[in-house]
Amino acid sequence: MAALEYPAPIRQLIWQLKSLPGIGPRSAERLVLWLLSTGATQAPQLADALKALGSSVEMCEACGFYSECGTQCALCSDDRRQRAVVCVVEQAADVLRLERSGAFRGQYHVLGGKLSPLDNVTPEDLRIAPLLHRVRDLPAEEVILALSSDVEGEATANYIADLLRRAEIKVTRLAQGMPAGGGLDHVDEMTLFRALEGRRTI
Amino acid sequence: MERQRLDPRCLFDLMLSRIEARDFRCFEHVQAELHPETTVLRGRNAQGKTSLLEAACVLLRLQSPRTSTRTDLIRHGQASFMVEGVHGADTLRCGMSARQRRLAVNGAVMGRSGEYLKESGVVVWMDHGDMNLLRGGAEHRRRYLDFTASQTERGYLDALRTYERALRSRNYVLKRDAQINWRHADAYAQIMDKAAEVIWQARNELVDATLEPARRALEALSMGKEELGVRLVRGAEAGGLFEQLVDQREQEQRTRTTAVGPHRDDLWIGLHERDAGSFASEGQQRSLSVALKLAQARVLENRRGEAPLLLMDDVFGELDATRRQLLMENLPQGSQRVVTTTGGDWVEQQKDAIIYDVDAGSLKLVK
Ligand SMILES: [Zn+2]
Repeated sequence: MAALEYPAPIRQLIWQLKSLPGIGPRSAERLVLWLLSTGATQAPQLADALKALGSSVEMCEACGFYSECGTQCALCSDDRRQRAVVCVVEQAADVLRLERSGAFRGQYHVLGGKLSPLDNVTPEDLRIAPLLHRVRDLPAEEVILALSSDVEGEATANYIADLLRRAEIKVTRLAQGMPAGGGLDHVDEMTLFRALEGRRTI
Repeated sequence: MERQRLDPRCLFDLMLSRIEARDFRCFEHVQAELHPETTVLRGRNAQGKTSLLEAACVLLRLQSPRTSTRTDLIRHGQASFMVEGVHGADTLRCGMSARQRRLAVNGAVMGRSGEYLKESGVVVWMDHGDMNLLRGGAEHRRRYLDFTASQTERGYLDALRTYERALRSRNYVLKRDAQINWRHADAYAQIMDKAAEVIWQARNELVDATLEPARRALEALSMGKEELGVRLVRGAEAGGLFEQLVDQREQEQRTRTTAVGPHRDDLWIGLHERDAGSFASEGQQRSLSVALKLAQARVLENRRGEAPLLLMDDVFGELDATRRQLLMENLPQGSQRVVTTTGGDWVEQQKDAIIYDVDAGSLKLVK
């Protein structure tokens, strides 16, 4: 006799959920059972929200942040923002973190990750070429590299700094005081503010 | 200074008085009180005595001398292990699973291994493999240096890990594409350059500090004068690593691997100015390997101000009575020892000692 299993739709959703980062098979199972009982009323809304993610969100080609389809990018269309300074970050979430610190009113550029050959992330996988074009077109005078301080973040910063120096652009990094080995998500807003204020040329 | 050393409270302050392990190697659960001077773990091979020694090393240093694969330490079929012990007045606790590590000192969780290692003690590990210092490849001698330096130099372990990760990434970049992206390789070379400075400075100082204690130990062990020499042979010329790597483009284009750097360092060990690995007799090599470990203990004591815990895996069994006696007499004063052995008359003759018999993953107190 075959071992008892959940019906196929349940198995299918568990399989989908556990392929998400940070969710193991047990959490996936718990989530699905919750959606079938207590959370049953929320399931349709959840499904709609997931669909909307694909159909009505797009990435701004200039800065790499997200906007709703058919609207202008809230960052790039804001005329009050300085055009001469570009802050380079790894993830869209870093943009919000820096905005909350209130220390920066220039342009952002989301790379979409950091160099990591061991995980098969090469310069071509990041938005580095668009950064160079943008710096030339704006035109920018200073590029701030707000990247993590682990080996991958450092290497990414070195790589970009080398390219920009050839274009004679001033390149700066966040000041000391950032935790060693961490990304921006480990830092409070006050520390970010100070790190931006005290940035140094590399 | 002298008086402090004689104060018995000081001795107890620094010792590992108790160790307990769960799901560690073959042990489901084991605990042992340890003697301030000597604890003997006696048993046939493969009964778990070395694993208990290893647990003590992991507890104090968060690394094993036997493996760098964490999952090797977890008992078969289990997800994690836990080691706990009382070191001086502090209760240390270390739990590891394949991906996670939880550290605590006196119940307070330590997020970073650096904080934990500041509170834990220093260790010297001695076993059969020490002969590799003379007979093995350079990686054995680098590991010997790294094991000491990471216990004495703040920032050394971080620099070493950073260097190794950047090196692996760089080598991967050199191998991956037909046309090497040198800018990408250079991005790692810059990181390696900075880390290499820290590594070289610490290794140089360490080798200098090792020479005299190693000479004295060898003299005592071999009962005569033997001219011992140690030198760091750098895996690069003097000067910055980054510039040297830029000069190696042609070679790296061919070999597809990082040509120079601390990962090519070696420790030259000589007897009467000749390479001891090739020219010393087996007996001399054995004495040399022990002398280098005793020197390691001395350097740790000088730098950290506390005698290290000596973990000695089946070291005495190989020696004849005279050499055994000489070694025992020359172990650093005031250091605590945990010793494994398959047996011998000398075990019962130990005066200040606790003796356990180890059989199939369980301990029985003999004395
Ligand atoms: Zn935009």
